[in-house]
Amino acid sequence: MKKFLALLLILMLGVLAACGGDDTSSDDTGDTESDSGETSDGVQSVTAWAWDPNFNIRALELANQAYDGDSEMYVEIIENAQDDIIQRLNTGLSSGTTQGMPNIVLIEDYRAQSFLQSYPDAFYPITDYINSDDFVQYKIEATSFDGDIYGLPFDTGVSGLYVRTDYLEEAGYTLEDVTNITWKEYIEIGKAVKEATGKDMITLDPNDFGLGRMMLQSAGEWYFEEDGNTPDLADNPALEETFVLYKEMMDADIVKLNSDWSQFVSAFNSGDVATVPTGNWITPSVKAEASQSGNWAVAPLPRLEIEGATNTSNLGGSSWYVLNQDGKELAAEFLANTFGSNEQFYTDLVTEIGALGTYIPGTKGEAFEQEDPFFGGQAIIQDFATWSEQIPPVNYGMHTYAVDDILIVEMQNYLNGSDVNDALNNAQSQAETQLR
Amino acid sequence: MKQLTNKNSIGWLFVLISVVAITLFYFYPMFDALLLSFQSGMGANLEYVGFDNWSRLLNDPTLKQALINTMTYLMIQVPLMIVLALFFSVILNDPNLKFRGFFRTAIFLPAVTSLVAYSVIFKYMFSVDGIVNQLLINLNLISEPIAFISDPVWAKVVIILAITWRWTGYNMIFYLSALQNIDRSIYEAARIDGANSFQQFIQITIPMLKPIILFTTITSTIGTLQLFDEVVNITSGGPGIQTISISQYIYDLSFKYTPNFGYAATVSYVIVILVVILSIIQFKVAGEKE
Repeated sequence: MKKFLALLLILMLGVLAACGGDDTSSDDTGDTESDSGETSDGVQSVTAWAWDPNFNIRALELANQAYDGDSEMYVEIIENAQDDIIQRLNTGLSSGTTQGMPNIVLIEDYRAQSFLQSYPDAFYPITDYINSDDFVQYKIEATSFDGDIYGLPFDTGVSGLYVRTDYLEEAGYTLEDVTNITWKEYIEIGKAVKEATGKDMITLDPNDFGLGRMMLQSAGEWYFEEDGNTPDLADNPALEETFVLYKEMMDADIVKLNSDWSQFVSAFNSGDVATVPTGNWITPSVKAEASQSGNWAVAPLPRLEIEGATNTSNLGGSSWYVLNQDGKELAAEFLANTFGSNEQFYTDLVTEIGALGTYIPGTKGEAFEQEDPFFGGQAIIQDFATWSEQIPPVNYGMHTYAVDDILIVEMQNYLNGSDVNDALNNAQSQAETQLR
Repeated sequence: MKQLTNKNSIGWLFVLISVVAITLFYFYPMFDALLLSFQSGMGANLEYVGFDNWSRLLNDPTLKQALINTMTYLMIQVPLMIVLALFFSVILNDPNLKFRGFFRTAIFLPAVTSLVAYSVIFKYMFSVDGIVNQLLINLNLISEPIAFISDPVWAKVVIILAITWRWTGYNMIFYLSALQNIDRSIYEAARIDGANSFQQFIQITIPMLKPIILFTTITSTIGTLQLFDEVVNITSGGPGIQTISISQYIYDLSFKYTPNFGYAATVSYVIVILVVILSIIQFKVAGEKE
């Protein structure tokens, strides 16, 4: 019996010790634990989290090859879905531990401010490691907080209007007719195309406000005022026009609805829509349907009809962030040496994976002038790179996705007959109560 | 006497492990979540705000819609599923039925499929170019495909169909096992007294199954309140927030938007309160004496 009791007590002690162990390290944001390691032969390593094996992960692999800095080091690449990365970062950073956290992490620009402000001191400023003039301006705006640059700008989401030239021709239009047009003109052409070919002009997911976000940024507007925190929805002429245009498209019956990514892709791969206004990262998906080679072209995005409207915008795109823990200098140095200064590396990115960066010196050269037979011989990378530099910078603010969801609901109300001003006023008051 | 207390204390020692473990892994997090529900702020910048979160609950249109949606699922789906499960179990309990094993397996099989996998399949079945639309068009029941997932009403119907398909077999198993414990002689006596099958079902089967019906109703209710996978994968809450569930809203508050774990914890407590209230109502309605 005594033996048994002793055993029990030991068990209990074990349990207690395990719980106690948790407490000691929980309040340390900084330097106790880290993932940077050193192998026996003196080669140091840092870890990086990213998503999309064909794009971001490949880019990191290329960066590993391209790195030629002073330290003997490499990046251990860990692939996670974007949603998982967000979840793990949030749970890890909010519990105040850096245990199990990476040194480098990819964060979508729309979410960057939310992370930077939610977890002060969790990220390491890299202002001194890069030259901000080397990057396109809107990316610097998206990755900066409080005067410091925290993210090394990576891919651009510069958008364009992918068009089926054969459908346009059937309706009596040329590529010229859709170049630098307004959305109003776009809808008119859409009606003509539908009449001539029976194909819809555009495919939209009612649960995704990406088109609206593109329209807003093309006019230098966003959901928030300059401070990135005060909702600017009710008296935002750009947003109002976005709503009106969205409804006009629906009413003109030129929209094929989709409800997720694969349906979105299949809408243009199967030839059911005549145009796709979206970010340049869609190029590989468009080219996946080889039978349509030669039938596509890319025009600048249509513009709104308000002051400050341009024919360039952005959708998505992400940047690299360094976590403020052991190995941060090493990680920042790695990023600066590759993504931050290596022109040849950016040429490789374009030729090997079609990734268009936002490092201006790295967007010149032969690789960019290459004509693409799939797009009828158009040098689309060159075009995108040119547009990319003209994207109006906006402060994406803290709550892009929360406002997105509010607007999606109000858009449904508006489509079902409510007044556009009522819808936007509703959205404004909801945003004001919810975002604090 | 001394012997007795000694025995008792050893008994307590045995219980102690589970008590400590439960306190540590259940009650402590619950209590911590309660504290959290009185805090608000972005990410790690939490501070105590008193009852701010609780008053915010009252004017939250998304939460209101999530509650309406959950109640809709609850009111339609749980009764539908319970009746179906009862129906299947009584039929499958008939000793004269051939291939009983096959049917039982077939109806139970959905309960072992992965939540995400079956949700994705449902989503594709009900997409605009999906098999359901093709079938309906080929049967000339409709001329234009129905946008099931993008329509506020149809989207709810799809969700309800999906959950019913997934969970009916699971509940049926409880009824089947309970049915096998009912003494055959009761039915025999009823037959001799001239009761037909329907009377036997109403007068004998249902009363004998009452505790199990109560049990399955409560577990299904709790399950519906915690609904997450199906909604996220089939409609992701849309169109708009027309199918969003409370759990999905909690997820959005924590991970999709700029994280506000305090308010998310408050919304979680709404589920707790609802589960308690609904369970009390169900016990009262079912009239459990003991």
